[in-house]
Amino acid sequence: MKNRLCQLLLVAVLAALCVALVACGESSDSPTGVGSAPVVNVAPPEEIAEISIDVIDPYLTATITLGNWPPDTAPEHELALFEGFRQIMNAQFPNVTVVPAFFSYTLSSYLPMARGGTAPTLFQPPFTDPQLLIQQGLVADVTDALAEFGLLEKFSPSYIDLLGDENGRIFGLPRDGYVLGMHINIDLFREAGLMTEDGLPMVPRTLQEMAEKGRIIREETGRAGLVFPASETFGGWLFTNIAWNFGATGEYALQRQEEDGRWVANFTSPPMIEAMYFMRSLRWEYDILNADATTTNWAGTHNILGTGMAAMNLAANDSVAEPTAGRGLPVDSFALIPFPAGPGGSYALTGGTAFMFSPDTTHDEAVASLHFLNLIGVLPFVTDDTIAAQRAGAAAARDRGVPVLPGIPAWNDEGFIAMQRAVADEFSNVDMRLYDDFFNSFVDGSITLRGEEPVFTQQMYRDLTAAIQRIITRENADVLTALQQAEERFQEFLDDEINR
Amino acid sequence: MRKLKQNAISWLIMLPSIALFAFFLWTPLLQSVRMSFYRTRNIELVEFVGLSNYISIFGRQEFRQALANTFSYTFWSLLLGFFVPILLALVIGETVRGRGIFRTIAYLPNILPGLAAMILWSAFFSAEDTGVINIILGHLGFESRTFLTEVNLVIPIIVFISTWRGAGATALIYMAGLAGINPELYEAATIDGAGIWRRIRYITGPAIFNLGSTLLILQIITVFQIMYEPLVLTGGGPDNASMSLMLLMWNYAFGGAMDFGRASAVAVVTAVILLGFTVLYSIINKRKIEWD
Repeated sequence: MKNRLCQLLLVAVLAALCVALVACGESSDSPTGVGSAPVVNVAPPEEIAEISIDVIDPYLTATITLGNWPPDTAPEHELALFEGFRQIMNAQFPNVTVVPAFFSYTLSSYLPMARGGTAPTLFQPPFTDPQLLIQQGLVADVTDALAEFGLLEKFSPSYIDLLGDENGRIFGLPRDGYVLGMHINIDLFREAGLMTEDGLPMVPRTLQEMAEKGRIIREETGRAGLVFPASETFGGWLFTNIAWNFGATGEYALQRQEEDGRWVANFTSPPMIEAMYFMRSLRWEYDILNADATTTNWAGTHNILGTGMAAMNLAANDSVAEPTAGRGLPVDSFALIPFPAGPGGSYALTGGTAFMFSPDTTHDEAVASLHFLNLIGVLPFVTDDTIAAQRAGAAAARDRGVPVLPGIPAWNDEGFIAMQRAVADEFSNVDMRLYDDFFNSFVDGSITLRGEEPVFTQQMYRDLTAAIQRIITRENADVLTALQQAEERFQEFLDDEINR
Repeated sequence: MRKLKQNAISWLIMLPSIALFAFFLWTPLLQSVRMSFYRTRNIELVEFVGLSNYISIFGRQEFRQALANTFSYTFWSLLLGFFVPILLALVIGETVRGRGIFRTIAYLPNILPGLAAMILWSAFFSAEDTGVINIILGHLGFESRTFLTEVNLVIPIIVFISTWRGAGATALIYMAGLAGINPELYEAATIDGAGIWRRIRYITGPAIFNLGSTLLILQIITVFQIMYEPLVLTGGGPDNASMSLMLLMWNYAFGGAMDFGRASAVAVVTAVILLGFTVLYSIINKRKIEWD
């Protein structure tokens, strides 16, 4: 009896093991586990019907998982738009299988997927990460596919530096750019009596005005004047721009390279100290920050502004959908203004988002992915189809309550830029007086655009965030000590990582 | 021959477990130790650097702070968390009606996924007007507090939340231990005039002492590896006040540098400290048995 039980047990265990091994060996249609598009109850925008469904290449064979697909929880208008694009792609390339695979890129989630072979073919990292991904061998070389597509000659030199390696190989392409400015909740400005006779909000032009207007808003409405995400790396990211506007550029730049090649952190310059004192005053003198600043992340800032818990948020043009369509703030209660100037200058951080490819992407998969990007109208080609795709995208955005604005193009192609502007004008759903200052500021030179600091920027932001947290949570904290500690931490990091 | 056959069957039965342990536990563990002696390119080993990763992390201010914080977590968890499950077990054990319901209620927080529980508590401890505790404080006429942004409060709050989540499961183990005590001992003590405190001191305490010692060392091991709680609630802030060793390890690996060599060095140091605790526990336990 005992022997029989043992044998039965053994058989059961071996069977379970076999099943487990077979399951491990099976491939999945969808590396990210998203195998099919969700059911959508609304039709795609009618503009999409203008795109040709003639077969373009019957021989191109590939399965591509697209991380730029909207999530299942996205508004139906957006899902319908992408489902429409998928059907057209199926018609134009009958042997290409498009697998929707929404992927919200973060370095920590991408790394295990890339190493485990489950990363989507196409994904969208911010401009802070491509060099790291290239150096770590976590992205595919797509130079040949870009050349075949006629895109290489359209690259500006700065993007070749950003998305290429020292051998001239290219690993991705730019999606769009952003410029840091300020999101405004007009309802709170109105409630605080900060409106002009024209019905426009009396928005701040300088950091000092931001503090003063924030205080009025706090006193009149009880809400935070400014939502500031002093958590993770976000606090340091925004503070860097504030520091630039206090003069932390040139000889006072946050990072500099010595003649011997050594990188040095420079957080204790007079402009940095002044900027950190200003940061401190926002909490302890003007009291305009949100109470949960040290635990508020980037999504949290949009929640707080969009739901009327704060009036101002230092944010860019690429996230206007978040507080509006994403959090329910009507488009006519929202404005986007330039980053407030400081006593040391008027700078605004510029960055953007790239399209990159998982390390095991084949040439055909890269080409098929580029065809899809062209289909949705984000590549710098002006054809009837790309115009229709851009119009469909703008219509879907308008239908779900996103401010339809001219983008900040990543490509220096005048025809493409003109087409984007024309589409934005056609579908505009906002009073452009609430946005003109922002878009004009970097064209007329009233704001100087500035890229991120050169090395290990995310780590620098993390260390600066800790200093900000110290200053805004302890009233008696010494500003210089906080900056010295952050500088010391970052210098240790630089010495370990690149100065050794 | 027959013995060999029997052993072979035993080994075959154990084989899946050994294979799974080797694949999921021992291999990563040994790889991690090996990785700590290398410069890495994400998870690839690039160059043997000896003790350089260890020297580097011990030289870093953030590591020393994370180490101190981790001991602070342990201290607070012993202060706030060690006796709660025992009390819970005693109270539920004394309950006559609805014991099953109370047992289920005590265990319920364990069923919640960890991240969801932390997000739930972050809403409770939010410093904004919408924070549940601030709403209650407001109704009681008190000023709002900022809780998770206060340097001195952040670790006790995180430990409180962890205790809320884990106490029920530990209490069940204590309840099982309590159930093994011969009821005649209590009856005899009661007849001799012993009150509840004396019964606990002379019967319950000694009966669950060994169990408590084991759970104590397990608690220290668990708390020393605290990571997702501060990650979700505070990100290690404010000003690294809640940064733990494991969270620092995560930051080294995924926070921007992909420095798996240093991350592994932090993991190994943590393991060595825990090994030290475990050896100490074994020595004390062995001496106690000898004294008894």
